[in-house]
Amino acid sequence: MKIRPFRLSVFALSLLIPTALCAVVLFLVIYSGQAIMFNGLHFLTDVNWNLGDMYDDPVTVHGVSVPGGAEYGILVFIVGTLVSSGLAILIAVPLSIGAAIFLSEAVPGKIRPVLSMLVELIAVVPSVVFGLWGIAVLVPFIGHHLSPTGNGYGLLASSIVLALMITPIIASTLLDALLQVPKENRESAFALGATHFEVVSKAMMPMVRATLVGGIVLALGRALGETMAVLMVSGGGINILPTSLFSPISTIASFVAGQLDSAEADPTNMSVRALSEVALVLFLITLAVNASAKLLASGALNVRKRQS
Amino acid sequence: MNILNKLRRTGVAALAIASLAGVTGTAKAQTVSVPLIESGSSLLYPLFNDWVAAYSADHPGADITTTSTGSGAGIAQAIKGLINIGASDAYVSDSLKAQNPSVLSIPLAISSQAVNYNLPGVKNLNLSGPILAGIYEGKITKWNDPAIAAANPSVTLPGHVIIPIHRLDGSGDTFIFTQYLAASDAGWASTLKYGTSVSWPAISGEIGAKGNSGMLSAAAANPYSVAYIGISYADKVASSGLGTAALLNKAGNYVLPTQDTITAAAESVADSTPADERISMIFTDAPNAYPIVNYEYAVVNSSQPASAIAEAVRAFLSWAITEGNAPSFMTKVHFLPLPATVVALSQAQIAKIQ
Repeated sequence: MKIRPFRLSVFALSLLIPTALCAVVLFLVIYSGQAIMFNGLHFLTDVNWNLGDMYDDPVTVHGVSVPGGAEYGILVFIVGTLVSSGLAILIAVPLSIGAAIFLSEAVPGKIRPVLSMLVELIAVVPSVVFGLWGIAVLVPFIGHHLSPTGNGYGLLASSIVLALMITPIIASTLLDALLQVPKENRESAFALGATHFEVVSKAMMPMVRATLVGGIVLALGRALGETMAVLMVSGGGINILPTSLFSPISTIASFVAGQLDSAEADPTNMSVRALSEVALVLFLITLAVNASAKLLASGALNVRKRQS
Repeated sequence: MNILNKLRRTGVAALAIASLAGVTGTAKAQTVSVPLIESGSSLLYPLFNDWVAAYSADHPGADITTTSTGSGAGIAQAIKGLINIGASDAYVSDSLKAQNPSVLSIPLAISSQAVNYNLPGVKNLNLSGPILAGIYEGKITKWNDPAIAAANPSVTLPGHVIIPIHRLDGSGDTFIFTQYLAASDAGWASTLKYGTSVSWPAISGEIGAKGNSGMLSAAAANPYSVAYIGISYADKVASSGLGTAALLNKAGNYVLPTQDTITAAAESVADSTPADERISMIFTDAPNAYPIVNYEYAVVNSSQPASAIAEAVRAFLSWAITEGNAPSFMTKVHFLPLPATVVALSQAQIAKIQ
């Protein structure tokens, strides 16, 4: 048999990425195994999170050694993550569709690269900068003008900061797609007497629907996993479900970042295992979001094929 | 040689102890570069940076990397042997100490914590452990609650809802604040206890903030709020217009965090400090002691991987608690130097590092 060094090395390299992914998942599952056994399904449905008393002797519950009073329920953080990311998408999608259409249709070709580069630049601003802006500008504004309690930290602030971070992701993917729509489609729509609005909404948008969904998924992935900016403006809600736009929340990622240091002082190590179970849940959520979006996108693709 | 001059002026007795132990001699002799890693408390981080810069300047060959990760990480990594010096606002707990008997908790300096409030029109405010426990449990919800009014007979209190602010990240500040609440309020002691993170009761309108700087900006942005902030931030707290509360101590007096009251707390336990120096200075019984005072610790494994590393750790730590306790380092972060008896105990612990 002939040995093909190039093919072999490329094959090995291509295996590296799925292997790394599987290794991470495997690690999370094994490391959090004890916590999964200890928590059961209450983990997902309880609102109370308590690391317990780490400065007293650990107690034994169901044969597992944990700090006294420890209970791990993450419903608050699941709700916080989904609601803040969902709201961020609701704010960001109209904004980015508007921005992309403006850039592809209304801006002269010479200025377009400059403006679209500016939009892409926002996407690479480090999240901590958004967090600082949130603390310095957004939170006081919400507190003084919108919030009935005077408190600006919470769901609304987190969603707006997230929306700003993800708008350029959606806008720039959509812009690229709009610019690739064949000239013939646009021009024949115009020739049929369509208004500019009809050209964009009827002839161009249907062609880029799959890309739009893809961009939204990419953005949602970033929003679900965003840690630092949310940590700075979320108000860190714990043990309480959000009841309004101004309620403090915690997202899964920001909560893990906030609690990890305390968890490391746990002599039984159960706290770190529970946090790794939290991370596993976040991983599963993003996986589910991505998978369902893939399905949606392929559905949208089929519709387009039938039309053409 | 500015530091030496200042030391000479203040006449720190500790220097004599250090030279008695013969440590300064060995420190100068260290010429081979041994890399050391310090990691942990974000409160200690600025001080460690100043220390390492000054120490490296007159100790050629010293090579110390400092990082700010958090007290919990400092303790955990020191135990695992990933770093040489772990910085922590809290000493190693009894259960961790039982699991890892070779891990030492060595006090480096004295820190404390202020309880700050944003109350328009109110300049002086007295608070106590039970009042603060009530606020953070959601039992005391308005500033004109009878319990607060009773502690402040001459102050006109607004009938506004209180916004309690707590740390959402694990923090030594939460540790000492909740220790004060647990020491002075039986209800808090039996339910929430103390820790670097606690399970804060659900109160609508409360805020979780990240880091001392987050606490400060949350308190400044929200009138009618109350927050606990490390003493290092005293200057920024004052310039943002926040008030500092006088806290009820064990002797029944309301005291503000000043050099005198913090020193009083430290000196009241200096003689009873055990050899392993794991002792709380929270809520001590001296009449003018401020109730939230703590040692900042270096968490070090007494068995280091090599004798050269152990020697470098010993040299740096004994420099830190003697020359490093000079006012030029301490006043910038509002820490106070260790009492002489505690310096001697720390030197004894440092000598155990092999």
